[in-house]
Amino acid sequence: MSNQDESPENPLRKELPEEVPAAPAPATPTEESPAEPRLTGRRRLVKGLWPPRVSRAQLIVALLLFGLGFGLAVQVASNSDNDSALRGARQEDLVRILDELDDRTQRLEDEKEGLEKQREELENSSDQAEEARKQTAERERQLGILAGTVAAQGPGITMTIDDTKGTVEADMLLDAIQELRAAGAEAIQVNGVRVVASTYLTDSGKSVSVDGNKITAPYRFKVIGKPQDLEPALNIPGGVVQTLEKEQATVVVERSDKIVVDALRAAKRPDYARSSSQ
Amino acid sequence: MIAVLGLVVGVVAGLLVRPEVPAAVEPYLPIAVVAALDAVFGGLRAMLDGIFDDKVFVVSFLSNVVVAALIVFLGDKLGVGAQLSTGVVVVLGIRIFSNAAAIRRHVFRA
Repeated sequence: MSNQDESPENPLRKELPEEVPAAPAPATPTEESPAEPRLTGRRRLVKGLWPPRVSRAQLIVALLLFGLGFGLAVQVASNSDNDSALRGARQEDLVRILDELDDRTQRLEDEKEGLEKQREELENSSDQAEEARKQTAERERQLGILAGTVAAQGPGITMTIDDTKGTVEADMLLDAIQELRAAGAEAIQVNGVRVVASTYLTDSGKSVSVDGNKITAPYRFKVIGKPQDLEPALNIPGGVVQTLEKEQATVVVERSDKIVVDALRAAKRPDYARSSSQ
Repeated sequence: MIAVLGLVVGVVAGLLVRPEVPAAVEPYLPIAVVAALDAVFGGLRAMLDGIFDDKVFVVSFLSNVVVAALIVFLGDKLGVGAQLSTGVVVVLGIRIFSNAAAIRRHVFRA
C-alpha cells in the first residue's frame, strides 16, 4: 500500500518501479546541499530536522502527520475509556454480560421489593403502636377521672347543704353521694375532697370526715354528670333533698354548664389486688 | 521539523479535544491509523535513502488509508471483517518492521 518503500537495496520490493524515477534527487532541497553531495542517512535526518524550513512539502507532510496524530490520539483515548471496553467485545461476550446484568438487576429488584415490604410493615407497626399509645393515654385519662388523679370538667350540678343546726350526719351525705352515683355522676367532690370508689364518710363530732379530712357545713357538692338526670334524682319525693330538709338543713341545687372538679387524689397502688387480665 | 511539529500538535489536539468518533467511522479508524503509520515509516526510510518525494508521500499516505478502510469495509460486508482487519494489520505490521529495519541501518549503521 505504501509507495514510499522504493529502496534499491530491498530486493523484495520489485513492484512500483515507476516510483524510483518519481523521486529525483532534489525532491527535498534540505537534503541536497551542494557542499556535500554524498550524505549519509543520518546526516540527512539531522539536516532535515534541525534548521526548520517552511516549504510546501513540509507543510503538506505536516498536515498529513497532524491527521495521523489526531486519529492516533482519538483512537487511543476512546480505547482507554472505560465504557469502550465493551466496544471491542465479541457478540457472545456481550450477550453473556447482558445476561449477567439482567440477573443482577433481577436480584436487586427482588431485594428492593423485600426491603420495601419490610419498610411498609415497620411503618404499619409503628402506626399501630402509635394508635395503641394514643388509646392508652385516652384510657388513662378516663380512668384518671374515675380514680380522681386528674381534674375533670363538664356539665353538672352544684348542691349546697347548709346545716346550721348540726343535724346532718355522714350517712345522709353518703345517701346523697349514692343517689348522685346512681343518677350517673361521673366526678364528685365535696368541699375540696374528691370522692372516689374507696371514699368513706364518718361522723366526727358535729361535723363529717371524708376520707379522714374533716369538712364542715356548708357542704358543697360539685358533681359532673347529666344535669337533667342529677337534679330530679335529688329532688324526688322522699329523696335526698326532702330527707335533709326534714332535718332542718337547707339544700340548694343548681344546674351548670361548666362544673370544674379539680380536687385531686394521689393514685394508690393496691397492696394485694393485682390485675388478672394479664 | 515542521512535519514533526505537525505530528505532535495532532496528538495533543486529539488528546485535548477528545471528539466523539462517529459510529460509521469507528471500525475503520484503527486500521486507517496503522496504514498511515506504515506510510510514515516508508516516507522516513525514503528520506534517509535520499529519494523522498512529497507528492509520492501524500499519494501513498492517502491511498494507504483509503485502501485499508476499504478492505475493512468490504470485510464487514462479507462477514469476515474481524479476520480481514487482522490480516491487514499483520501485513502492515510486517511492512512497518522492514521499514524500521532499513531506518535503523541508516541511523545506527547496524
